[in-house]
This record gives sequence, C-alpha cells and structure tokens, in this order.
Amino acid sequence: MDIQRLKPHFPWITLLVLVTIVGIADPSFLKPANLLSLAGDIVPLFIMALGLTFAIYIGGIDLSAQSMANMITVVASVYLASLGIWVAALCILAGFVLGTLSGYLTTRMYVPSFISTLAVGGVCFSVAQWLSGNRALNMDAMQRNETFGWMIGRTGIVPHEFFIALALLAICLIIERRTTLGRALKAVGAGELAAAASGLNVARYKILAFAISGALAAVAGLLFSVKLSGGAPTIANGFLLPAIVAVLVGGTPLTGGVGGVLNTAIGTLIVAVIRASMLYFGIAATQQQMVFGLVLIAAIALTIDRSKLRTVK
Amino acid sequence: MYELKAVEKKFPGVRALKSVDFSISRGEIVGLVGENGAGKSTLMKVIYGAYQPDGGEILIDGKPVRFSGPRDAMERGIGMVFQEQSLITNLSVMENIFLGYEDQFSRFGVVNWKAVAKAARKQLAKVKLDIDPRTVTSSLSFAQRQLVELAKVLTLEERVQGHLVVLLDEPTSVLAEEEVKLLFKLVRELTTRASFIFVSHRMDEVMELSDRIYVMKDGQVVDVVSRGAATPEAIQHKMVGRHVDKEYYREQRQKPYDAAKPLVELSNVSLPGKVRDISLTLHAGEVLCLVGTEGSGREAILRTIYGMRTPTKGTLKIKGKTVSRLTAQGAVERGVGYVPRERKIEGIVAGMNVYENMTLSQMPRYARAGWLDVGNERDLARRWIRKLAIKASSEYADCGNLSGGNQQKVVLAKWRSGGSDIMLLDHPTRGLDIGAKEDVYDMIREMCDAGVGVVLVADTLEEAIGLSHTIVVIKDGEIQKRFDCAPGSKPSLYDLLHYMI
Repeated sequence: MDIQRLKPHFPWITLLVLVTIVGIADPSFLKPANLLSLAGDIVPLFIMALGLTFAIYIGGIDLSAQSMANMITVVASVYLASLGIWVAALCILAGFVLGTLSGYLTTRMYVPSFISTLAVGGVCFSVAQWLSGNRALNMDAMQRNETFGWMIGRTGIVPHEFFIALALLAICLIIERRTTLGRALKAVGAGELAAAASGLNVARYKILAFAISGALAAVAGLLFSVKLSGGAPTIANGFLLPAIVAVLVGGTPLTGGVGGVLNTAIGTLIVAVIRASMLYFGIAATQQQMVFGLVLIAAIALTIDRSKLRTVK
Repeated sequence: MYELKAVEKKFPGVRALKSVDFSISRGEIVGLVGENGAGKSTLMKVIYGAYQPDGGEILIDGKPVRFSGPRDAMERGIGMVFQEQSLITNLSVMENIFLGYEDQFSRFGVVNWKAVAKAARKQLAKVKLDIDPRTVTSSLSFAQRQLVELAKVLTLEERVQGHLVVLLDEPTSVLAEEEVKLLFKLVRELTTRASFIFVSHRMDEVMELSDRIYVMKDGQVVDVVSRGAATPEAIQHKMVGRHVDKEYYREQRQKPYDAAKPLVELSNVSLPGKVRDISLTLHAGEVLCLVGTEGSGREAILRTIYGMRTPTKGTLKIKGKTVSRLTAQGAVERGVGYVPRERKIEGIVAGMNVYENMTLSQMPRYARAGWLDVGNERDLARRWIRKLAIKASSEYADCGNLSGGNQQKVVLAKWRSGGSDIMLLDHPTRGLDIGAKEDVYDMIREMCDAGVGVVLVADTLEEAIGLSHTIVVIKDGEIQKRFDCAPGSKPSLYDLLHYMI
C-alpha cells in the first residue's frame, strides 16, 4: 500500500487516533453527552470552514471570513430589534454580496484572492466598528429567544446547532457532488485552464465560490451572535486560523481540486478534539493559536499538491 | 569521452528510453533527430543531469559518473543551451553569464562588478559578440541572446577540468537564415574548445553541421549515420519507421469538401502583435491546415475562432452568422470544439474521471435545473470508451493517469459527443506514439465524412501536407500563400518552407 493511495484516508484516521488518545487520557471525554456538546460548540466554526472550503476548493482562499462573521454579529445585534427574523436574510445577503465583491476583484481585476479577501475583510471590520461604536452590543434576550431561540436549544441531549450543521453540510454536499456548479468548481480547482478551454465561464464560478464562502461566514456570524446574545467587532477573532486548519487537515489542499465539504466536516471534528484536548492538558487559551498555527503549517505541508506549484512566493 | 551505455528511463506508463547507447568524442559535433515523442528531450535531460537514468551508466573518459542534477553535470563539463531561452531578461548580460557563480568576484559578499564585466567581455569574445556586458538582456535580439547563452555555457571552460560537452536544443528555431550561418560557423570554430550535441527539427541543418547523426524513434536509437552516408529522405524514413506514405495519413480517405457550406469565415481579422488581416474560410468536410513557424500566429487564429481572443479589427462568421461578442461559451454553443496543444493542462482535467471530463463542455445537456444526471453521463462515457477503444479501466478512471493517446481520445470524444462540427485541433498528435497518431488521423477523416470542418495546426509539415485539403502558410502573423491539397497534387515540403521562412 503506497502513501499516495493512503493519503485520502489520513483525515479520518487522524481523527480516530486523536479521539482514542484523548479518550484514554480522560475516559469521560468519550461520553455521548460530552461529545455532542463538543460538536455543538464547534458549529459556528464549522459553518465558516464549510464556506472556506469552496474558496479553497477552487484554489483560492477567503481571509475575510472572520471579519465577515464579526461584522455580522454586530449587524444582527443592531438590526434584530427593527427587522426581527428578516435580519437573518439581511446578514446572509450581506455575506453573499461582499463575497461576490471579493470574487469580482479576484477574477476581473486580477487581485489575488488572499489580498482581495483581506481587503474586503478590512472593510467588514471597519463597518463593524463604525456600526457598533466600537462597543460590545447585547441583543434583547426576550426577542432573541422568540426569533432565534430554536437555533440554540436542545432536543434530548442533542444541541440544535448540530442539526443546523448537518443540514448545511447536506446542502453543500449535494451542491458539490450532484450539481453542475459543484462539477464546475471541481474542474476549476483541478484544472482551471482546461475548464476555460472547455467553454466554462470560469470567472462566474469562481465569483460564486467566494459568494458562497461569504454567505456561510455570515451564517456562522449570525449563529455565533445568537449563541452569545450579542455582538462586537472582535468577538469572532480566533476563528480564522482554526477554520483554515479544519479545511486543510480535512484534506482539501490549498491547491484545490480535491477534498470537499465532507472532508471539512472531519477536519472540523479534528479541530474540536485538538481544542478539547488542549483544555484537558491545561494549555491556556492564549496559547491555543500557537498550536493551531503549527498544525496549519503541518497540514499545508502534508496536503499541498506540489506538482501544481511552479514557484512559491 | 562522454558515453551513455544501455541507458533506461521510465515514467509511469511509458518507457521513454530503451537501452540507449550514445557517445561523443573530443571536438565532435553530433546531431540528434527524431519525431516529437521519440525520446530526444528525455535523452538530453539525462545527458545534462536533469534526469537520472533508471538503468545503464554514464561514462566520462571511461569512468562511470552519476549526476545529482544539472549543476553537478556542469561541474563535469556538460552544459546546455536551452531552446526556450533560460536567460533572465531583466538582468544584465554579465549578471546572466555568471548567475550563481558570482562568488569568484566577491569579497565579503560584495561583488566587484568591474571584474565581472571584464570576465564577461572575455566570454563574449569567445562567441564573437561585441556588446557591452552591462546591457540589459531584454534589449538584445533573439540571436544575440542565443549567443549569450552559449557564452554562459562556455564559462565552464575556466571552471572545469577536461573537455566540455555543449547541448544545443533547437538553437536555430528563432534565427533568420543569415544568423543560422553565423552560428554554424561559430560552432565549428568552437570545436577546439568543446564537443557539441545539436538537436533540431530541421533535417537539412542537422546534416550540414553534424559529423554523426543519432536517429531516435520510440525511445530507441535506431541508427547512427556518418556525415554524407545517407540522404535526408533515408533518415526521415528511419525516424518514422516506414515510408511516410499516403496510407499513413489516410490520403485515400480524403474526399472533396462541400464548398457550398462555409462553417467559419474570417475576414481581415487582426490581433495586435499576433496576426494581421487574416481572411480564410473553412467548409464542411474540409481540413484546413495552418502552417508556419512557432509564434507565427497560428494559435492566435484558433483562439480567435474559439472566442478566447477578441480581434481589434475584422469579422468572424460562424455558420453564416456574424459573431459580435466572442466568448468560449458562445463558441461551444455554436458547435466549435477546441483541442488545445497543451493536452495535460488545457485538454483534460487531471483529477477528474473520464465521464466528468467528457461532459465538461456540455454539462447543461446532462443536467436538469443544475442537477446532474450521472447515470446518463456514465452511459455516454462507456459508449465513447468503446467507440474509440480508449484504454481506461472504467469511466471512473482518473484522466490524469491515462496515456497521452487515450487522453487525446477523451478530449476528442468530449467535443464529438457534444456534436461539435467545427473542430480546432492544435498539435493533436503531439507526444503520441505512432499507433495513437494513426487513430487520430482516422478520427479526422471520420469527422470530415460526417461533415465536420477541421482547422488543424499539425505537429510536422508532413502531417500537414498529408492530412489537409487546404494549407494556409502564415508568417509573422500574415497569410503568405494558400495551397490546394487534393490527393495526388499536394505541395512538397520545400514549397511550404519557401513561404514559411
């Protein structure tokens, strides 16, 4: 069995090994209730990673996801009172439009996506500061429970976030595997020039990938603000690195074309286990990003398709 | 003094070199010829250390050596003058000549540029190039750059003990006739300093310059010919392995085209820097071949018809209708199919399987409201795998792992299964072995029988002559001459060359 054939199976093997290690160290970790609540807590991050998967799948990156989520927590907190349930539509639309903007800058203006999304992220961050007056905002608890309470309740021991995650995963999986959009995104990721020479409107699909990424980052932000019953321009900081880690350790390389949203689900679980084990091993919150940084570098080095890279700058 | 013994090189699915013996002695000029895909470039890469052979040995002065890379080979006196020039154009000539070897001129990391300039002047004198070594390379002509490359390789003389071997890969492809003569004169003079391995497509040049010629075919050296011991035709015969006869290009199957049915009409099309005032018509059942040298504008014409480039002037009509907004999507809808030259990059998507590749250009046909009907796609793929005898384990096989010929069949099936009746073929047989080439020729004839118009940029002139109904010779972006190529009254190689260069 050579390593190339084993490679697609790395993510779930890693997950299994990690769960076993942590489970041996702390048997209570393996209790269903604990596992489920762990899974529930990671859902906003998962949704962000789900969106990022589309950007990375086509060989791009979306660095605006975290700022987008930040901004959306503020937007949701500010407009919940006046818009009610429609604030959700506003949030998702904002994410979609800003993602489209990133995509437009990347495909039509030839600004590499790591810069265009960084810039759009900067805009988002600034909007969040301006809109919030640079303060933490709170939602009216009553109104939050009335409008969005269903998002964060529990049925038995299963947190509702878990259902939201499953539903979004199913939708994304269908898009990826069963639609022309998914096929086109795969072609763009695996061989953009061949896709263009086959008459595909490559630019349009790339813009759509960034738009989906933006929209899902917005959903992540919305859910996060509902969970915390408020918003602030820096509340989701610390999401971006783990979200990128989730996509990459899941097996979607930065070069795109392989992997997909199911991989990201596994990758997110790996991130969740790493996070939980850090608590167990007593690594302070301030040190967690170091670990994720190192995992990210390792994941990129392991997954990247070097045959697609001519030079790295 | 430099020798290869029974050298083997394997790549996944191909034996690129089969037990190749090769030798070159002091001051000798050795020619290396073969068709595309015969293994010339692999052999060269083994010689200058870019590839390590999988079997056999490399001997210098009778002692076995092993190169870890080109730089290692250079230390042993093997230098390469690249076809696609390896100079960095925004550096000066002297910086290029000593790139990576500045240490000899530097003290504490600071380079003494005066000393570099002096040394560079000495190198340039070897190739009789009288220019200021401080000149920025981009301001030189191609011929001058070629000489700078040669000068760069000749710096080995001072660094290396022993004799030099210099590889010249297609050094004449960008040169004018006069410049070629000067280069040949220079190479002959330089044989006091080095041996040369000369690789070219132009048989007459190889025969003029070389003391001996190695003829390669299918990864093997099929013959070694001494100067004057064979005619160009005989060598050509050995390269192809048979007489390049009418049967090879399926000439007996060439039928007259339907002149009343124009498919593509270009009138006065211009693309700045690429082509000027191109007017031509492609009819149903016609193979129209664009002939010209590299960079003469053939690809630009194909890409214009395919909608990937928008001309600044002139009109394009497809099936009688003027196309106002050129896009590839539009072209595909109008029935245009494009088989690009870079098969692995633009032809197939490696990492996607056979059916995904085949329906890539026609997804709407296999989807309802964006929802793919995979069963239908797989049926299509299975049908065409059988029809074209594509060697793939199943429709799930990754196209990236197929051999070149089968990849090309997948690309052709992609367009034909979608009903494309205007086919643009750019070097469709590049890098294919002979059997696969013949399959492609058969397919071209079958397409013509079905009323398809084909615009072809052929891999060789023989192929162009053999396959086409019409040949249009292009030089520097302009049409020079149009030839009718009815079977029996085809133009000769020399007729075409006369207008190409």
